[in-house]
Amino acid sequence: MSHRNWSHLAAIPVLAVVSAPAWAADYLSVEQAQHALIPQAQSFVAVPVTLNPAQLTQIRRLSGTPQRTSQPRIWRALSGNATLGWVIVDEVIGKHEFITYATAISPDGHVLGVEILSYRETKGGQVRDPRWRDRFRGKALTDPFLLNQDIPNISGATLSCRNITDGVKRLLALHSVALAHAG
Amino acid sequence: MITRCRPLLGTFVEITVPVGQEAAADRSFAAVEHVHRAMSFHEGGSDLARLRAATPGEAIEVDAETVRVLRLALDLFRATDGLFDVTTGRQLVRAGFLPRAGIARLAAFPGTSADIEVVDDHHIRLARRVLIDLGGIAKGHAVDRAIEALTDAGVAEGLVNAGGDLRVFGDRDWPVALRDADDVVRHAVQARNCAMASSANLMNRRRFRGQEQSPHIGRGGRPVLTTGRVSVVAPRCILADAMTKVAMADPELAGQVMATYGGYLLASPSNGNCH
Repeated sequence: MSHRNWSHLAAIPVLAVVSAPAWAADYLSVEQAQHALIPQAQSFVAVPVTLNPAQLTQIRRLSGTPQRTSQPRIWRALSGNATLGWVIVDEVIGKHEFITYATAISPDGHVLGVEILSYRETKGGQVRDPRWRDRFRGKALTDPFLLNQDIPNISGATLSCRNITDGVKRLLALHSVALAHAG
Repeated sequence: MITRCRPLLGTFVEITVPVGQEAAADRSFAAVEHVHRAMSFHEGGSDLARLRAATPGEAIEVDAETVRVLRLALDLFRATDGLFDVTTGRQLVRAGFLPRAGIARLAAFPGTSADIEVVDDHHIRLARRVLIDLGGIAKGHAVDRAIEALTDAGVAEGLVNAGGDLRVFGDRDWPVALRDADDVVRHAVQARNCAMASSANLMNRRRFRGQEQSPHIGRGGRPVLTTGRVSVVAPRCILADAMTKVAMADPELAGQVMATYGGYLLASPSNGNCH
């Protein structure tokens, strides 16, 4: 494979091995996400919900995924007195990333939208395969945060959003169990 | 600059635009959602689901974008002597990389890319039943459509990244870090008005009937098993995305084909990667 220089693309010289970066991206605050998801809402009112054990069991049965917190973070989107929908802020742990996301659900139980709020890849840089570890042993880590701070854009093997998809399914179950009849 | 992120196309799609252009980012996401709906392998209402159900010989109406993607897929199928193939769905379902999606008998889908005929801008005809998976090309197309939505809205500069397949535009350099096959970032490049896609499968292996499998299918239907990462730079992301699959199996061929499309393979200073 030959290496061609292209006017559109230049290698940045020598960025050292990043062995344990804490990749982090913050996309939206909760408030920004609420307005992005249901822009026509005039207000978002926090709804304190405590799920009882029977409801937790039912959510798991409906969605196939356990609802870990019994006190989900839920807001009712209002226009005047009318409920336009619900915004639920939830977290999932992916393969090795910690993701906060918001899902908007209509009063009749349809997904209106999903926005990622923040993304924490706590162990993403760990070299898990010992063969690779050996190969790069001895390459110094000069500035572990240089890449994190300066280069948020990554080209690489696709990360699956499967856990978010499962999470949204679980929040739909939560809606049907705890919110659908709340008016 | 602001960046928004949504779960689409089975991955995380990031769109970066100047502050104040959030509405354009919304339209850009809508373009990705359109591709997601039309070209999802999983979703029942997608064009792929309807092509699965199609009777051979019947012209099936599909989204114009699906036709565009299949046209390029067939061009690349021919240019790579069959190495780029969107009909490896059978193998990928069998190995567990794709969901069963309600398919009762995989053996009922014997067709290859040679059995796909583009009738016109809205119709596809299949000579035999074919299990089409656009997982190796639709993300790139979605990125291109998202970029078009931004430029159509008058946005001066931006970036769209669909799980590592990305494209940038505007009068500036965009730093892009490259994630190696072992999930570690060692290198970065500056990109300007170009698309880039990377593939690896070291962290995405399964076993089927005692054999190690990857989502990349090479010559003779054998899974490509490499410890390396390939990155392809191209004027359009659909090309970069598709050609990483070829580069995984045959980097030399990928380099030759990319040259005809104005792109190239990015040599990685860390390898030995591409076998």
